[in-house]
Amino acid sequence: MKFRVAREGLLLVALAALPAVGEGFYFRDRVSWQSPIPAAELVTVDQAKAWGDNAIWVDARPDDEFASDHVPGAFSLNEDHWGELLAQFLPNWSPQKKVVVYCSAESCNAARDVAKRLRDDAQIQNVFVLNGGWEEWVKRK
Amino acid sequence: MKTRILTFTVACRAVALCVGGSILLALSARAELKWEQNVIELHPSVGDKQAVAHFKYQNTGTAPVHFKSVKASCGCTTTQTQTEVVNPGEKGEIVATFNIGDRTGQQLKTVTVQTDDPNPAQASTVLALKADITPALEIKPQVVYWQNGEEPKSKKISVKAAKEFPAKEITIKSNSQNFESKVEPGKPGEWTIEVTPKDTTHPIGTALLIQTDYPKNAPKSFYLNVVVTNPPQAPPALRPSAPAAPGIKAATPAAIPSVSPAAR
Repeated sequence: MKFRVAREGLLLVALAALPAVGEGFYFRDRVSWQSPIPAAELVTVDQAKAWGDNAIWVDARPDDEFASDHVPGAFSLNEDHWGELLAQFLPNWSPQKKVVVYCSAESCNAARDVAKRLRDDAQIQNVFVLNGGWEEWVKRK
Repeated sequence: MKTRILTFTVACRAVALCVGGSILLALSARAELKWEQNVIELHPSVGDKQAVAHFKYQNTGTAPVHFKSVKASCGCTTTQTQTEVVNPGEKGEIVATFNIGDRTGQQLKTVTVQTDDPNPAQASTVLALKADITPALEIKPQVVYWQNGEEPKSKKISVKAAKEFPAKEITIKSNSQNFESKVEPGKPGEWTIEVTPKDTTHPIGTALLIQTDYPKNAPKSFYLNVVVTNPPQAPPALRPSAPAAPGIKAATPAAIPSVSPAAR
């Protein structure tokens, strides 16, 4: 009796797993998306603005987009010229400041990548990604 | 009663005819763009400036497909389509060019293709380009810190050239008088840089320019940042009247010669 229940249970689990295995095989070429940015690493425009002079803004967009317009006082720091731009950014940073990184919009990954590099390569704490990016800043400025 | 049954039968036939006709029409004039690969893995060589992916497709349907938009996820990736309309049976490709810049490690860039395919599942396709970028020089750590007031002792930085980057020598350039640096060669392709601040009494930062002797006609440059910072501030509750700490004075980078585009 016990074995029968166990066997039927296993059968049910196997049947339930079958569609997942099939989907995994069928969509094997699909892109596996990056996990979302943890909420603790995100900051809204209003929150970042409230930090005032305690915040240092970093524009992770390409040079031409930064040149076209940017958050007042923001530093350009993108991965196209990381070494050169980091050297320009660091003298203006101090450990007391919160770093707010933004890129074009919610869908872009540049801010996340730059924020990660600031934490990993430059060992800077208090690095946040601006929720909604430049698009959101423009809406709320 | 007979009339009602007759009307019902006619209505059923009409509906069946419409559904069948629609299915037949959809099948006979379907547009389908088949992609050879949705994900392309690239393996650029050390020092490459670009990595190019060719996403090949074919319209296996019986109706033309129009591209509505082709968007890359990153400003670092540009896309090129050969045509706006893909006729039935026609083959083509979308070329995605990823500008590597100073990026290192695993990179995933996507291109979203929107077509006028009536099937929503087929109308939008996400193509992905994966690349593993090996830096020509591995500098660890890339930024060296001293705290304000900390003993001005030297700190060591290890530099290692990639296997495919046969640099034999590195030199350091700096216009700052506040830091002393020297290079000690180790195993072939490995070096140790020792940096010492002259004093740590005030916040200061500079960038040291590391130059390789390879390639001979266009040596590459890399940055090593050295910084004396203010000590981390105590929580505000403990220091309610603490004045804002001054920023770090920049000794460079304006003083540092600009890096050639080849080094970017």
